[in-house]
Amino acid sequence: MALSVGCVVAPPLSQTAAVVALPFVGALLVPLAVRVAAERAGYAAAAVALVCLGLVTDLWRRGVHGTVSAEWIPTLDVAFALHVDGLALLISFLASGVGVLVFTYSAGYMHGEPGLAKYYAVLLAFMGSMLGVALAGDLVALFVFWELTSITSFLLIGHYSDRDSSVRAARKSLVITVAGGLFMLVGFLLLAWAAGQGGEPTYVIAALVDRAPELRATLGDVGLFVPTLLLVAVGAATKSAQVPAHIWLPDAMEAPTPVSAFLHSATMVKAGVYLVGRLRPLFLPAEASLVGAWTLVLAALGLLTMTVCAVLAVQATDVKELLAYSTASHLGLIVAGFGFAEAAGAEAGAFHVLNHAAFKAALFLVAGIVAHEAGTRRIAELSGLRHDLPITAAVATVACLSMAGLPPFAGFYSKEFLFDAAYETAHAVGGAAWLFPVVAVVGSVFTFLYSIRFAALFYGDRPDALGTVHSPPAAMLAPAVLLGGLVLAVTAAPQAFVDGLIGSTYGATVPGEAGGFSVPAPTKLSPPLVMSAITIAAGAVSYRGYGRLHDGLGGLLAARPALRANYWYDGAMASLPWLSIRTTPAVQTGLLRSYASMAVGATAVLALAGYVAAGVALPVPPGLGPGVTAAMAVVAVVAAVAAVAVVRAPSHVAGVLTLSILGSMLAVLYVLVDAPDLALTQLVVETLVLVLFLLVLHRLPAFYGEIGTARAVRDGALSLVVGATVAATVLVTTAADPNDVLATTLSERAGLPAEHGPVLVDWGGGGNVVNVVLVDFRGIDTLGEITVVAVAALAVLTLIRMRDRGETP
Amino acid sequence: MTQALLALALGTLFAVGTFLVLRRDVVRVVWGVAIVGQGANAYLVTMGGFEGAAPVSGGTTDPLVQALVLTAIVIGFGTTALALVLTYRVHEENGTIDLEELGGTGE
Repeated sequence: MALSVGCVVAPPLSQTAAVVALPFVGALLVPLAVRVAAERAGYAAAAVALVCLGLVTDLWRRGVHGTVSAEWIPTLDVAFALHVDGLALLISFLASGVGVLVFTYSAGYMHGEPGLAKYYAVLLAFMGSMLGVALAGDLVALFVFWELTSITSFLLIGHYSDRDSSVRAARKSLVITVAGGLFMLVGFLLLAWAAGQGGEPTYVIAALVDRAPELRATLGDVGLFVPTLLLVAVGAATKSAQVPAHIWLPDAMEAPTPVSAFLHSATMVKAGVYLVGRLRPLFLPAEASLVGAWTLVLAALGLLTMTVCAVLAVQATDVKELLAYSTASHLGLIVAGFGFAEAAGAEAGAFHVLNHAAFKAALFLVAGIVAHEAGTRRIAELSGLRHDLPITAAVATVACLSMAGLPPFAGFYSKEFLFDAAYETAHAVGGAAWLFPVVAVVGSVFTFLYSIRFAALFYGDRPDALGTVHSPPAAMLAPAVLLGGLVLAVTAAPQAFVDGLIGSTYGATVPGEAGGFSVPAPTKLSPPLVMSAITIAAGAVSYRGYGRLHDGLGGLLAARPALRANYWYDGAMASLPWLSIRTTPAVQTGLLRSYASMAVGATAVLALAGYVAAGVALPVPPGLGPGVTAAMAVVAVVAAVAAVAVVRAPSHVAGVLTLSILGSMLAVLYVLVDAPDLALTQLVVETLVLVLFLLVLHRLPAFYGEIGTARAVRDGALSLVVGATVAATVLVTTAADPNDVLATTLSERAGLPAEHGPVLVDWGGGGNVVNVVLVDFRGIDTLGEITVVAVAALAVLTLIRMRDRGETP
Repeated sequence: MTQALLALALGTLFAVGTFLVLRRDVVRVVWGVAIVGQGANAYLVTMGGFEGAAPVSGGTTDPLVQALVLTAIVIGFGTTALALVLTYRVHEENGTIDLEELGGTGE
């Protein structure tokens, strides 16, 4: 069943699938665990994450690399493929590793909170989905896990479902990320279509990447290369909160803080970045020019997000808001890194995924400790916390310095790579490309500013208004310390991390690259080093004016709401019900006439459009047509005239009598076309209908609904269109020579008392083939018909005789 | 091949049926539905061709079509009867058979 294409050690299907499946199994068992162990269920969830981490570590240790796939939907060329490489392993490490810490932290943070079973179950399901995104080797599988992370994120943001703000924030994140996901799906379908043009259609990412030049050529030939790139980029940008879709991330901070640390800093928001890295070799040729479509879209988008969100972080008033904008800003940095065609860009992206996850998750846990112990998250009210929270202060300081990009901290190196890529691109291309390094430096200055501001919460004087600040429990402190330790470890030995994992992550994002690069020691003066120096100097100088900058930006945004993307989102969301309220009365009039016109008109127009599109010629037969006699023509004309007369009938009784003429003419027509059974039935039914009408009509008022000319013309036009459609359809369909095997079979055996008679008698015990078909071959159908008539009779009886017994007045 | 005249006659039946369905008078709407049903039956019969003989005499026209239409005629009768009685009941309940008065806001 399973096949594998790999070069080093092919991934074992069961082990890789277990990494993804275990959290889901755990999620199912959570309610049981909460019932048995109550709040200690968090440790059980942490154990599940630990097992996943162990399995991922084992895959990494054995140097597993490649794709393994099992059949899923073979008719649609969709496989359940899992792919293991450096990038997949890095994201898996983050999902399971940060998972262990966050579950441990939650055991302390969620003390005494309601809805623990829901919380842990959804959080575990999220972890499984995220591992699925990281390890998916098939675009469809990737999409499914991708949307699962959106849904679990929605549930976690809305965890406090009785709060209006939570519900709004959850809805916003779902609307934005799922809408983006749909764009991405279209992009995926286009990629698979392109693969099907030149060979085997497939959704397996590794196979697509192998055929990247061919796919790019196929898409380029039909002008779909840039649209496909944009569609995929929209998916990645909404998930990774790139401008202008960044607005859902600050709102998502309504979620409990461990969720923010896990989903909205270390993992889920990395899904978009991951996708950019994963598809980079597909869209970016190895021999690409330095500013192709890929760079123009992603490097520009990333740098814009990096700068805009860094500015917004400076005006933030809430600790978590600051971190949220900062997260979007750093995701922008990673997207920009992957966006550059320069090798240094991909190195920046790959390295910063790790660095950002480490320092930002640590800072979120710190923010949670501060909020939990100091009772407030307002930046203005917090200061001098190092006296009460010394260990937390140390973690925050290390993480903030790494975030600011100060040497020798880990964040410095990834930022250097980005500066390098931006500078080299500008240097080689010149002109407007110089905006890349300039914007990168400006964004970094603001990053420096808010990083130092966050660290400053722990220094200076302790304000008197701040109440007692408790020490955090060990379960909350230990994960933060571990993440701070990770930052220090990367700081101390960046090359070791590159050799171990980041190198192969980088390799996964570059076509035809085995991976591996070296971290330069900042010893000699290079352009990126100068850019860093400018950043730090400008940041240090302007930090004195932080308060004025913060107030000025806040004032500007308050005075000019149109500058905020939220203004447009709120407007769009409010206009939906407005649009609905405006259009509903026009569509839902409550009048039969409106619905009938719409249904009939749409059907006619679609049918005619179909004929035109298919280029159907209208066959006009010579004379009356084969088999049509003069008698039949006369009968048909009389029937048509009778129908017109029904419209002009002056009273109900006259109309019903004219209607009978029409029915009788049809009966005669059936006689002429050798259908005696039809003729008999038609006559009987016609008589019954006439009697029924006459019985009812004398109880109805003489209301005939006179109509004006305008209405008659409008309805007449619609009727003519319908009539023309039917006439054309009759001509077109009867011109065809249908496959009449069944008719021939039946006809050959019909007839009595000829030699075929006995056959029919043997088959159905009758001599009239129509009767035999009705009562024998299609007996159950006829039984259904009889049932319909019986039900109609019952309904008639009920409607007429039981009026007084019902609930009606 | 085709039957141009029959096609025109069927087109007329459908046009008239549509026009009647759009009327304010419920009885006329019922007529419209009945006429469209009749037209559909005749259309199905033309689909079978006219070059055979009656189903009891050998070499018949398509007997399958006739069986289908036979069912359709009876069902059409049920539909018409039910619609008519519903009209009666509507009149009893509301004292009117004007659709514009019954539903919507009128014009």
